[in-house]
Amino acid sequence: MSEKYKFDTISLHSGHVPDKETGSRAVPIYQTTSYVFKDTNEAAALYNMEVGGHLYTRISNPTIATLEQRLASLDGGVSCIACSSGMAAMHLVVSAICSSGDHIVASNKMYGANINLLQHTMTRFGIETEFVNPNNLKEIENKIKPNTKLVFGEVIGNPGLDVMNVPEVAKICKKKNVPLAIDATFNTPYLMKPILHGANIVIHSLTKWIGGHGIAIGGALVNGGNFDWGNKEKFPTISGPHFALNGISFWEEFGPSALTAKIRAEGMYNFGPSLSPNNAFYILQGIETLSLRMKKHIENTNMMLDFLKGHEAVSWLKHPDLDDHPDHQIAKEILPLGSGSIIVFGIKGGRDAGKAFIENVTLASHLANVGDAKTLLIHPGSTTHSHLSSEAMKVSGLTDDMIRLSVGLEDIEDIKMDFEKGFKAAAKISSKRN
Amino acid sequence: MYVDFKGSKTYLSTGGLDLAKDKDTLCFIHGAGQNHYSFTQQIRYFVSQGYNVIAPDFPGHGFSEGKQTTSIEEDMFWLADLIQFLKLQKVFFIGHSQGCLTMLELAAKIPDLAKGLIFLAGAMSIPVNDYLIDTSINNPEKAYDLMVKWGQDNYGSFSISNWPGHNHLIEGSAVMKMNNLSVLSTDLKSCNLYKNGKQAASEINLKCLAVLAKYDMMTPLKKGLEMVENIRQCDFQILDCGHFLPIEKPKELNSHIKNYLSYHSQQL
Repeated sequence: MSEKYKFDTISLHSGHVPDKETGSRAVPIYQTTSYVFKDTNEAAALYNMEVGGHLYTRISNPTIATLEQRLASLDGGVSCIACSSGMAAMHLVVSAICSSGDHIVASNKMYGANINLLQHTMTRFGIETEFVNPNNLKEIENKIKPNTKLVFGEVIGNPGLDVMNVPEVAKICKKKNVPLAIDATFNTPYLMKPILHGANIVIHSLTKWIGGHGIAIGGALVNGGNFDWGNKEKFPTISGPHFALNGISFWEEFGPSALTAKIRAEGMYNFGPSLSPNNAFYILQGIETLSLRMKKHIENTNMMLDFLKGHEAVSWLKHPDLDDHPDHQIAKEILPLGSGSIIVFGIKGGRDAGKAFIENVTLASHLANVGDAKTLLIHPGSTTHSHLSSEAMKVSGLTDDMIRLSVGLEDIEDIKMDFEKGFKAAAKISSKRN
Repeated sequence: MYVDFKGSKTYLSTGGLDLAKDKDTLCFIHGAGQNHYSFTQQIRYFVSQGYNVIAPDFPGHGFSEGKQTTSIEEDMFWLADLIQFLKLQKVFFIGHSQGCLTMLELAAKIPDLAKGLIFLAGAMSIPVNDYLIDTSINNPEKAYDLMVKWGQDNYGSFSISNWPGHNHLIEGSAVMKMNNLSVLSTDLKSCNLYKNGKQAASEINLKCLAVLAKYDMMTPLKKGLEMVENIRQCDFQILDCGHFLPIEKPKELNSHIKNYLSYHSQQL
């Protein structure tokens, strides 16, 4: 008899039992490219996906499989594929489901690279995307066309922190028979499991909170096993004949896990966006403490929100847990444990003040990542978007005074002290200018 | 492949290939509330080993339409008619759980249809407790979860799988959700009602194989061994897993099935 263990236990144990040969309690790092076949019969069975197993690390690996099984368990999915980055995961999903002539409806409030992939790269391959306000349910429904093969959004948008009403969007997708893929990087399964709210596919950048220590790039897609791919005309890549493996239909042969079977056989095999076993191991170490870290991230975030709320150096403040956030009600419903540890705020004095702030903090690190154990900051106006005018930044939904803060696990009093130093420097710049 | 059988669209997994007249056929019979996905790691494997394989979805299960059968006897006649409809000669039947009851009945009543019998996690009777039957009527999804939980051994708890990245506990429930909602309760009642297993087992003259599971909580090992004793010629193997052995121990199971089939081919 099996037990259905709870989140913390799954985080530590799922996908692995002590190794029978060695007794190794930790997940071993299988640093190997390939696996010796017992005989030709077994080799053929593995190549043809007749039975499970490993044949080449580009496609699967025991350490990575442990990570995949753990993520599937945490997210309530039937199967998972881990890969080299969150962007690789997103590409795997799009390329598995869509072909030239297909259409995607996607949130216009997503991470820039997600938008770039859909708006600029996939269009070169004949896949068109229409972008919508993620919480304009009518617009989402109206944009879905007969050739729409995917609806895509983020639970918590990056960097605007818009919260998508996943349960309502999922209802529309179900009615229209279109799969809903959700990037859940900012929430992690600890704060919210999109599959339990009706989403069909979950995408994670494991680099962020799941890995949690800023040491390994990785991504994953979790398959809910809750979508009917049986319409051969609409989803020929999943339910129609596959070019290899005797022309099998992944839907007929693999059912709930058809999507990941297809991605394993085609995406991992042909594109090769593999995760390294070492990085899988690092990310597994992160998962072991995911709930502890997320609790502390949320606790520190709440204290930072209190600190920034009335601060004289702060011109505006945005977080879904604040009453004045436009998606506060949705956040309360679907993210009851907290809406993540990213805060965006404006610094008085504009672009130059922002620059001074960033250059005068010590503990908070100025870099292009989020979800590290350490507090991270970025000032788009002086870095990622420094080439844009204030007006052009506004078009992208950004302002030149905006700071994105990823709240870490330090003693929050030390971070506040660090921020005061930065604010002081920013104020000096402002007063000089005035 | 789909066939129009008894006026209903009926699905049988053949591993994606057409059936060939010159090959032996293996017929996999799924258990209560299951469908052909129970045998994902057997179907295409044995197709590659040179066999015709059919794994039908019984009416209302998986992709098959039609009115669900309500007793093991009805299951047996439906299956026998399907074999004749497909113009298949003697067939190796491989049943799992409830599928074993169907197979017992078929081997006893229409012995000419079977060339060999392999019982997976089988017994001569499968009494089902009232709680599970009630739950399957009132809250089928909860009953799926219970069955999957009871059906897999401790490794299910840890999401151990030979398929990289799979979570069999969640996948097991997802497979059951593909059936019509009333399927599980009807199947469980059929199992509960069936009383002819002992008699049927004693009438079997074929050399059989039973592959049983050490930690089976649905058809306990003890009950499986009683069945073995009641069949004149029945070898048995015990796998270190729970009730869902085609998923939990696919390689070991395939190897036992292969050995049995190869023994048969040497005898012919």
